[in-house]
Parts: sequence; structure tokens; C-alpha cells
Amino acid sequence: MHLLSTLLRPRRLAEAHCDGPCGIYDPASARIAAEAVLSMAQKIVALGDADDAATNNTRSRFTAIKEEQAELAKRELNILWTDYFNPERTANHPDLWQTFWNAAKLCSRNKTELSVEAGEELLATIEEIHNVFWATKGRDDVPFYLAV
Amino acid sequence: MLRLARRFSRYEIAGESMLPTLRPGDWVIVDRRAWADHEPREGEIALARDPRDPRRTLVKRIRAREPNGDLWLLGDNARRSTDSRTLGAFQPESLLGSVRWRYWPPPLGEPEPGPGEATAGRA
Repeated sequence: MHLLSTLLRPRRLAEAHCDGPCGIYDPASARIAAEAVLSMAQKIVALGDADDAATNNTRSRFTAIKEEQAELAKRELNILWTDYFNPERTANHPDLWQTFWNAAKLCSRNKTELSVEAGEELLATIEEIHNVFWATKGRDDVPFYLAV
Repeated sequence: MLRLARRFSRYEIAGESMLPTLRPGDWVIVDRRAWADHEPREGEIALARDPRDPRRTLVKRIRAREPNGDLWLLGDNARRSTDSRTLGAFQPESLLGSVRWRYWPPPLGEPEPGPGEATAGRA
């Protein structure tokens, strides 16, 4: 029986596949949110330690946006990881889970801390994900660019 | 024998978009010369090159022929299928063959006609 199934087993795959409802994924949405996080961190640092009401107001607004965008980046990364990536697409990238895990942790760190460095690290991690993502689609013509 | 081997190939089905007709893990025989003697017809199950990744082979059902000969391919399991609704019509040249028989698991038999063939058309 085993021999028979070895003989009969097809060598080709016909995919009756489904991409999900729309099938449109792009790490760009996480990248944009991460850039906003980094930009806010830089602006908060540039505000310095002034303690007047106007500066406090601006600082609060920047902080709120930083946290909101860090949360958004985490959500966008999670969608990529759980909806786009699957065993087949991660087969050549066995460490990808770690990259996503680092990215998610960095989102949290950017949310709770004020750190330009953490923002830069998050962007660099998203660039790694960008490279793997487009590699799974056989595309090498998609540059990683920044809005700033 | 060699001619038959050239004409027919074995494929394994992956994915759920052709349920209930084809199940993931089914082994089927594909006739690569299915359309040597007739134009592709509505209702036939076609293997087609993925327009986004030519290394990949899709299996879907022909549901309509457009006046220019392009084909509208849909999964039988419309709710779980990426097909012409996203990918657009397929050119006849992108078709690789037609699924003729499922040979595993038994019972052997032709794939059943798909749901709603009488009302075939764009979803």
C-alpha cells in the first residue's frame, strides 16, 4: 500500500486557494504608523523640558498620537502575521516569527516609553518584514521607502 | 503510452475553494489536451496559471466565457475562494488543462457538476 501510494502520489499541486476576503496586504500600512511613532518621539524630545501650559498641551497631544500610532502599527503587523503569512509562506523564513514578535514588543515599548531609538528599531524591523513579505510574492521591485 | 503520459498529469489539490467538489488532499488526473478539440466550456474545471505568480497553478471552475474568449473562473466554494472576482478574467492561454478524474481517495469518479451551474454567471 505504501509503495502504491508512493507511485501514485502526484508531484504537482493545484491550488484551490483563498487569500481571504480582499487579499490585499502590504507592510506599508505598518511602516506608515511606525514612521508617525518615530516622528512624534522626535518632536516630543525637541520640545525639551519646558513646563508652560502651551508646551504641556502640545506634549500631551504628541504623546497621545505616538501611543495611538504604536497601537495601530501593532495591529497592522498582527494582521500580516495571522492573515497573510501561513506555513507555506514562512517555510523559507523559519525565524520570521521572531521578527514579528520583536516588532510587536517594539510597538509596546514605543507606546510606553519615550525613545527615538526604539522608533528607529521598529522601522528597521518593519523593513525586514517588508523584505520577506515581497520575497514571498516573488517581487524584488518594491523598495522600502520612508515618507519623511 | 508516452503520448498518454504527455497528455495526462497527476495533481494534488490544496486549499478549500473547490469544496465540496474537490477536497484538499484529493489526487486528480488532468487532461492537458482537453481543449484541443473544443473551446473551454462553462462547467469544466480548469487548471490555470496564477496571473500574480506564474509558478503557481490554480484550480477553479469555468463559469463564463467573455466575447473575446477570456474566461471567468470561480471557486465552487465562493466564500473561500480567490478567483476572477479578484484576479479578473483569465486568458485562454493561461489554462493548463481540465480536471478529468479524481483517482484518490476512492470511489473513483468524475468530479461532480458544481453548484448552481444552471445560473452560472458572475457572482
